[in-house]
Amino acid sequence: MSANPFHIDPERAREEVEAFRRKVEAGMETLKHIGPVEFGTTPREAVYTEDKLTLWHFKGSEKPTGKVPLLICYALVNTPWMVDLQEDRSMVRNLLAQGEDVYLIDWGYPDGADRWLTLEDYIDGYLDRCVDVIRRRHGLDAINLLGICQGGVFSLCYTALHGDKVKNLVTMVTPVDFHTPDNMLSHWARNVDIDLFVDTIGNVPADLMNFAYLTLKPLRLNQQKYVGLVDILDNPKEVENFLRMEKWIFDSPDQAGETFRQFTRDFFQKNLLIQGKATIGGKVIDLGTITQPVLNIYAEQDHLVPPAASIPLKDAVGSKDYTALPFSGGHIGIYVSGRAQKLVPPAIHEWLANRA
Amino acid sequence: MADKPNDFIDQYQAFVREGVEAWARQFDPKAAPAEAPSPDIMGRLFTGLGGYGDWMRAFTTGEPPASPFAHGTPPFGQPGPAAAGPFGYGPPPGAQPGSEGFDDWAKLARETLSMPAFGLTREQQEEQQALLRAWIDYAEQYARYQSLLQGVQDRANETLRSQGMPADADSLRAVYDRWVNLSEDSYAAAAMSAEFREVYASLVNAQMRLKVLQQRQVERFALQAGLPTRREVDSLGERLQAVRRELRQMQGLAAEVEALKGEVASLKRGIAAKAAPTKSTAPAKKPAAKKAAVKKATGKKGAAR
Repeated sequence: MSANPFHIDPERAREEVEAFRRKVEAGMETLKHIGPVEFGTTPREAVYTEDKLTLWHFKGSEKPTGKVPLLICYALVNTPWMVDLQEDRSMVRNLLAQGEDVYLIDWGYPDGADRWLTLEDYIDGYLDRCVDVIRRRHGLDAINLLGICQGGVFSLCYTALHGDKVKNLVTMVTPVDFHTPDNMLSHWARNVDIDLFVDTIGNVPADLMNFAYLTLKPLRLNQQKYVGLVDILDNPKEVENFLRMEKWIFDSPDQAGETFRQFTRDFFQKNLLIQGKATIGGKVIDLGTITQPVLNIYAEQDHLVPPAASIPLKDAVGSKDYTALPFSGGHIGIYVSGRAQKLVPPAIHEWLANRA
Repeated sequence: MADKPNDFIDQYQAFVREGVEAWARQFDPKAAPAEAPSPDIMGRLFTGLGGYGDWMRAFTTGEPPASPFAHGTPPFGQPGPAAAGPFGYGPPPGAQPGSEGFDDWAKLARETLSMPAFGLTREQQEEQQALLRAWIDYAEQYARYQSLLQGVQDRANETLRSQGMPADADSLRAVYDRWVNLSEDSYAAAAMSAEFREVYASLVNAQMRLKVLQQRQVERFALQAGLPTRREVDSLGERLQAVRRELRQMQGLAAEVEALKGEVASLKRGIAAKAAPTKSTAPAKKPAAKKAAVKKATGKKGAAR
């Protein structure tokens, strides 16, 4: 013990390790008695399905007061249930409580049959057909669109292509400038031979994606997090919350190979979106054509989509009605933290209500 | 109790090992409780706790903690060179990647591999040579990456030592948390460097070059055995998606044609209504008919002039 420079009392260290061990031991009992954890708790109905996609319509306890429905377009890289994780941590539930009429695209789990799906298939195909379904159901020309992370990029591209079908656009933790100096994922991806990568592995397995995310903060996410779990092992509710989040993190879909190739090459590597040079199905995505009201919500401590990657949206869109909403939290905390429950859905609702 | 100064760490580590084994026994098909949390999560929990034990042991003996990255899986979770062997030829037991003999073996192997292939099996020889070259390259890139990560950890350890006891660190756990923070800061700084970007991409690209050659060999074996290959399945999938896009495009065109047909029919109905006998029309239309008749007559008059 004397060799270490911190001079922690050996007897105290022994007691600490013993206490920690006892906590783990007792915590095993908690873990044994916790049943399977689930997410996506808000009542919902499938209103459209196509291939592996499901368009969900959520049922609130009251009839919606919002006249224009809101479609949530989530990223492909995780399941969309982060927005409806559990009863007391649900952006969907809180939006319903505010009076919004909420729809959600669940992209499903791609397999080999989806290897050749392109960004055009997702944005100009699946997303467009979901928007059309909602427009028909409500007899409206345009609906409200809320894009999250990569789904925010999809929503921006979609609005640029089909502006007549979008009344108001909300983007959350959405990157538009992929080459900011604090974007670690983009930095790593820059020199990877993405054609060789996709040609070799085809669809990108979820485990591989998760591995890349874990290596953004390897010690914290692979080790310290589980040491920290011991602190809450005597609290079944907290453990359930932990396990639910853990399940969501690792229960993610594979990525369709062609879409991954296009997204990595055109967005992460070439940063074409902010330059107005990205194309979807041969059509140029000019963010300047987006004249709808835009609400851009970003997380100030986001390590996946740094604020600097989101903020330039202001100057990129052609809208004269642009609102930025910074949230003090991280990429996930913006949906699940207690503060987010109180702040984010009411802010979205109020912004939409003012533009109904 | 303790026979050695740090035997409580040994006991802790033994406990973690036992925990892993006990938990694994829970998932014995004969005794598995249906509602247990996934073994995957438990695996991650015990790996994390084991890593904490390793750190405590290093800390209490005054040794620099082993880099948690040092023997980590390379980017994208692909197997390291030892697990992703070159199918067939490779280094002898004393010259595996990471050992002192590897560089000498790799140099010699590269010289040998540059010799031309010939004879009936020339193509297979060239394939095997390319595979072995790709594997050597992968092993070398892997070593570069590991060396970079070790440097990250060394810098973090040095910072921890030079900063001394943090004011709020009165327990192993507090020092551990401090060490994690410093390690992550050091890692983040390195990870955003141009060198890391280059090494990271070189490793991923080397992995893929090796993998594609391995796939090619497997495909050849599959073809020889009359089995379908991934290339064939991919080709079918690509055609299927192309046909679906064409179908949608045609459906779109068909919808446009139907809409146009509707417009034409509507126009035709309008023309027919105008041309229809006036008897059956509403009284309001009568003056219009009269007006037209007057116009017609006026026109005729004008023309006569």
